[in-house]
Amino acid sequence: MTRTTTLAAFAAAVAASFAAFADSDTVTLGAAVQLTGRLANTGRYYGDGYALAVDKINEKGGITVGGKKMKLALKVLDNQSDVNLGVRQYVQLLTQDKVNFLLGPFSSNDALDDSSVAEKYQVPMVQGGGASTQIYARGYKFIFGTLPPADDYFASTIQMLGKLTPKAKTVALIAADDSFDVSVANGTRKLLKDAGLELVLDKQFRENNADFSSLLSLTKSVNPDVILWAGHEPEALNFIRQAKSLGVSPKDLYSFTVGVPTADFRKALGNDANYACGMTSWLPSENNKDEWFGDAKQFAKAYTDRFKYPPDYHAASGVADVEAFAKAIAAAGSTDPQKVRDELAKVDFESLYGHVKFMPNGQISLPQIVIQIQKGELVEIYTKDFIHQPEYPLPAWNKR
Amino acid sequence: MGLFGQILVNGILLGGLYGLMALGMGLVWGVLNIVNLAHGALIMLGGYAVYFLYTGAGIDPFAALPLAMAALFVFGYLLQRFVLNLIVRSALLNTLLITFGLDVVLVYLAQLSFSADFRTINPPYAGNNTEIGPVTVPHAQLFAFLVALLLAGLLYAFLSRTKTGRAIRATSQNLTAARLYGVNPRNIYCLTFGIGAALAGAAGGLYGVVSQITPYMGVTLTAKSFVIAILGGLDKPLGVIVGGLVLGIAEAMTALYLDPTFTDIISFGLLVVILVARPAQLVGRA
Repeated sequence: MTRTTTLAAFAAAVAASFAAFADSDTVTLGAAVQLTGRLANTGRYYGDGYALAVDKINEKGGITVGGKKMKLALKVLDNQSDVNLGVRQYVQLLTQDKVNFLLGPFSSNDALDDSSVAEKYQVPMVQGGGASTQIYARGYKFIFGTLPPADDYFASTIQMLGKLTPKAKTVALIAADDSFDVSVANGTRKLLKDAGLELVLDKQFRENNADFSSLLSLTKSVNPDVILWAGHEPEALNFIRQAKSLGVSPKDLYSFTVGVPTADFRKALGNDANYACGMTSWLPSENNKDEWFGDAKQFAKAYTDRFKYPPDYHAASGVADVEAFAKAIAAAGSTDPQKVRDELAKVDFESLYGHVKFMPNGQISLPQIVIQIQKGELVEIYTKDFIHQPEYPLPAWNKR
Repeated sequence: MGLFGQILVNGILLGGLYGLMALGMGLVWGVLNIVNLAHGALIMLGGYAVYFLYTGAGIDPFAALPLAMAALFVFGYLLQRFVLNLIVRSALLNTLLITFGLDVVLVYLAQLSFSADFRTINPPYAGNNTEIGPVTVPHAQLFAFLVALLLAGLLYAFLSRTKTGRAIRATSQNLTAARLYGVNPRNIYCLTFGIGAALAGAAGGLYGVVSQITPYMGVTLTAKSFVIAILGGLDKPLGVIVGGLVLGIAEAMTALYLDPTFTDIISFGLLVVILVARPAQLVGRA
């Protein structure tokens, strides 16, 4: 084949792929998520969750838009855990790939920057990966989110502490310096003050920090009743392992914003995962009914069968994003960005993820369920009242 | 005072491991004049090797270290023989490009083969510790520190006492003279890179015991190794260990007296200060 014909064939293939996207019978959702890079472990929940949701909705006949059946399509790019690359990819999704709507990336730092692209091009983005309230504090009209506000992540935990004996009095707050964790820390300080708990240590650490020995030694020196910890999963694993090796343990309880709900966390830590508290906005329960998947339990099974690892709330949140679009597009009867945006603001439905309804700023409001690892199993502890009894107070490492 | 002592011990134990990480990088840099940007990826591979030997074959991580080192030595030797020897003695930029490319390839192959899951090497004794007065000494970190010292000592003895070791140093000091004395530089390069990779492999295994292994762990470790290798004086094993200790202690003290978010500023700030104060360290070699 000569170079010209190769080029021509290539051009034809490219044109064909664009034609597929421009097809008037499909609505394309675009996203740039962390399929590789340091956040790939959590990013995969979004890539996989989106794919499963899109396939499931299509399998059930797609969406009826103004009397016409339309299929969903998905265009996922790999942002390589690079926020700047992600922003460029979202611009590319809108300007070159001509996707209709945007789904979000993982993590608040990413969502914070990527959502600006959605706002600039006036195309709605529903994102289930960023919980920081910063994302919604800028008066943006085109950004919606299915993770509850980071400020309140510890709200149910702190409420629960008030009902446990011995009563915890002092708290060490240790949080990373990224957007999500700063938001968690700010909210938690206020919650602690309102609950009358004394903050005896309040420290920030660098995102990606691997060595917690100094912070742990500091924590040991103030001997708090409770450690509230905000960061990402790899850091949580390091923190717990190094806490054990340095014999650092709060008197009553420690809780982590991330990691605890995932199977990966339990696998990496083994028995050392026991007693760790955490939170999740979602559990695979039969009570969460869903139009497409039946319920959350069936979803979890379908997800595990297909991807060979179990979903956590990130994946469910991602699925809820796709479903919110499906509902809004059907209600709008059009793929006009402005009309779909207005319908997104009004969506109100039960899903496998829970009740999806956005607050005026675009963020969802869901309670955080307090969870704890007990003998290697994930146990629901508390939402507004106790579901199961926590193992409390926390035994020291050498008494476990 | 108890807290200060504890943090000092933390810093020293961490610093030993840092030193071991940088040993291989410093050696390769000093002898081959290759700034190996894939050094962190080699550490990562060593981590996986020990992880699979421990979880798959049930070999104690510390017993698995020599096996992982042997595997990495062979890998490093072949890498130098068939890839890096092509660009050895060429412009620094070429070596940076090729090792950067290697890093990307190794990291992505690792994600494809091992997934992005976080792995920990968690033998039953990993969390044990001994209380000495007010100071808690974690066993795993202590063992890792001792292994680092042992390997640095062995490398020092190898470089200064054995014929091959002297040939390696001769090659780095004066290539022409070494050739005249019958040293075959290509073979020496392969050996050196193999040793560097083996040391990285040991560091990776130990890192998995005290921290965790992911395909992406290497990037920050390469950066740290870079700083330490310069602090310590490249192919001077004992100097590199001291460089590691300096960095480990500096980081620990920064977290205590300034703020934990400042640790990177201090470690790279330290690098700038060293380069300003002792530029000959680098310029004399490059």
